[in-house]
Amino acid sequence: MSELAQHSTDYGVVEHESTSTVERNLAIGSRLWASALVFFFFAFLFAYFYLRSLNENGLFKPKGVHAPQGFGIAIVICLVLSATLLYLGAADQRADRRPAWRLKGLGAFAFGIAAIALQIIAWASIGFGPTDGGYASVYLGWTGLYTIFVFGTLYWLETCLALSYRYRGEPFGKAEVAPGDASGDAHREAHDIANPVHLNTSEVSALTFTWTTLVAIGVVTWLVLYVL
Amino acid sequence: MKLRRLIGFNLLTAVVLGVVGFYVGWWLGHLVKAESIEYFDDTGQNDIALFVAYFTGVVGFLVGLGFANYPVQRLLGKPPSLREKETAGIGRYFGLCTDHKVVGIQYLIGIGAFIFIGGLNAMLIRFELLRPTHLAWNGNNYLTLVGLHGTMMMGMMTSGILGPFANYFVPLMIGARRMAFPRIEALTFWLLMAAGTILMTALAFGGFPTGWTGYAPLSEQSNMGVDAYIAFFALVGLSMMLLGLNMLVTVITMRAPGLSWSRLPIFVWGTITTSVLMVLAAPVLVSTLFMLALDRTAQTSFFNVQAGGSPYLYENLFWIFGHPEVYVLALPGMGIVLEILPVFARKPLWGYRLAVTGMVGIMLLSFLVWQHHLFVSGINGDLRPFYMLSTELISLPTGFIFVCALGTLWAGRIRLTVPMLFALAWIFNFLVGGLSGVFLSDVPSDVTTHGSFFSMAHFHYTIMGGLLFAFFGAIYYWVPKMTGFELNERLGKIHFWVMFIAFNSTFGPLLVIGFLGMPRRVVTYAGYLQGANEWVSISAFVLGASMLVFLVNLVWTQVFVRTPAAANPWGSKSIEFQLPSPVPVHNFDRIPTFGPDPYPYGGIEGTRPVVVPARPTA
Repeated sequence: MSELAQHSTDYGVVEHESTSTVERNLAIGSRLWASALVFFFFAFLFAYFYLRSLNENGLFKPKGVHAPQGFGIAIVICLVLSATLLYLGAADQRADRRPAWRLKGLGAFAFGIAAIALQIIAWASIGFGPTDGGYASVYLGWTGLYTIFVFGTLYWLETCLALSYRYRGEPFGKAEVAPGDASGDAHREAHDIANPVHLNTSEVSALTFTWTTLVAIGVVTWLVLYVL
Repeated sequence: MKLRRLIGFNLLTAVVLGVVGFYVGWWLGHLVKAESIEYFDDTGQNDIALFVAYFTGVVGFLVGLGFANYPVQRLLGKPPSLREKETAGIGRYFGLCTDHKVVGIQYLIGIGAFIFIGGLNAMLIRFELLRPTHLAWNGNNYLTLVGLHGTMMMGMMTSGILGPFANYFVPLMIGARRMAFPRIEALTFWLLMAAGTILMTALAFGGFPTGWTGYAPLSEQSNMGVDAYIAFFALVGLSMMLLGLNMLVTVITMRAPGLSWSRLPIFVWGTITTSVLMVLAAPVLVSTLFMLALDRTAQTSFFNVQAGGSPYLYENLFWIFGHPEVYVLALPGMGIVLEILPVFARKPLWGYRLAVTGMVGIMLLSFLVWQHHLFVSGINGDLRPFYMLSTELISLPTGFIFVCALGTLWAGRIRLTVPMLFALAWIFNFLVGGLSGVFLSDVPSDVTTHGSFFSMAHFHYTIMGGLLFAFFGAIYYWVPKMTGFELNERLGKIHFWVMFIAFNSTFGPLLVIGFLGMPRRVVTYAGYLQGANEWVSISAFVLGASMLVFLVNLVWTQVFVRTPAAANPWGSKSIEFQLPSPVPVHNFDRIPTFGPDPYPYGGIEGTRPVVVPARPTA
């Protein structure tokens, strides 16, 4: 009997999977992803202190190479405000105050976009380039990769908001996707995500943890690159 | 209908979009203007164009497979889902499929193909070394061969066991129906395939002379082939990080009732410890390669000492990832061997908790040893004692694994099946690899042997002798369960004996040749070493030929003869062997309940997992 021959199984007898499994997956997955994020930027932290301590040819931070303090403070304020709003919005979502969550989520999104915009403006006006020593390299590499991650996390926030808007008329904990709607197979997928509105709560919580971690990394970035 | 299948989201579309994406990126990259780029462009080198081309090529490839559909749907607020194309017939093997068993088989074939290419490179290397002077390749081509071989093997084999076997069997072993994030699971595989293809393109851009480590400043000054190396390893890093994350979440959250941490099969523990290393070490690699790519494109100076950087930074960061990666390669092999031994010794795993302690100990210590790779690089001498000690400490938890293996064999009713032979060979090979490693962890002897064929033979004993023998043991043990067809036992034994003897005949003498002073990565060598090198090369060719025996076995039994495999051909009490062969799409009708003993051999009954297998309908 080949593997392909064994596909027709009576899915009516198959025990369904609880959606709580997906919720726990999101929670644990976000913690692990946050751990990985820390290690992405650990490499830059290591690079900063390594190059600073060596200061090869006195070129770690030559004269005239200074990160723009105003931009640094503005970026980090945007990030912290965004994380705070998302944290409060997640609480609203858990308490089924979904209009309030959407409002705060939009605010978090806007502040995140503002942080990216400010970073791009900062790059254009910093007055030093990638060839200007170790600090300049670390600054551009670190903030560059950080901006990519901020952008990706904002995409995740957008999906949560979009889902919340799409299902805004559905009662919390009641809305069900018809069997097969989730991914197309009327039998196999009947127990796929059954309740997107409820699941959105878990997703927003997972996102909040990830975003908070990323913003914490952003604060460390600011301390290292702008304050030290 | 056939036309619709051809132009849908599948491998064919992916290849077309990948190639189109590559050339679009190449064109876009050439639009970037800068003084330095124009300077290099005059020499035919435009690294920005190549990086952009690789990026857009990979994006096109993934879009063609259908990976963009779901993110776009989510962007529009569509509900999340878990599964895709799990019942799409044979086509599911050629595209995005979220069935963990399909992904496991995809990994086995995909990784197998690239390992075969890496093996061919090794044959070419050994061909060149038949003579002490140039025979077939000049120095640059030889270095590129060495780099391609090492990079391909090290990159692909990071997922060599977790990709095929953990993806396939960990959900079964923990009583789950799927992986936690099935799309990410599929993504890890296709990223790896894109990476392997990119690495092959290095040949079109002049190759790369850096070996698998990509050390600066050589990697900064070399031609565009290094860009392929960077893109390859960055994709491998992303793939392995996501693979590890997915595995960890699956094991943490989706274990069936009764399956506490102390009841997990030991292979699952091997997977957990490997996954932790993947999640934490791979990001460092990706960031490091990001820095290297910036140095080569934006002219930053992370590793350029004339401009305020330092090549030592690269070497440190690389090995912060690189040494845990060695254990990413070793730990799954340990898990497989300890999984196989109880089955064929008909005894419970001896010292289960000791084995878990050993694996966790290796996992933790592997982050604290990286500078032993830099003993002769000129680092501060005061750092040496700590790293020598931490490296030698790691032999303790490794010793736990050996004790458990030998304890399991002791007074067992041993059956010398093919999987068991490979498991026993692992014990011998890894012991030789471990003992030779002590010389490299010890500063005085490392100063003598570093950069010689001794260190090369050492890591081939650990990685090939450890991982690859465990890999083949796993193939012979689990492939009948995966495909539903038996492998030929006689051909399997021929494969094993030829491979085992030829392997030791190849790498044993290389330990000696290394001690005699033959350096790695140099195409010529002293004339008095020619006889030994001829012996090694001929042994290597026999080793390569043993792979052909395996291929014949695989194709003959799985494509032509196709003898149905029994559900439990080995008399295993592990849960995956309580299911039909091959395993049904949804694994279990009902989630199983586990008893207290993961290895109830020796006449203990009533402690096996309670499994309700699928009921196939007509």
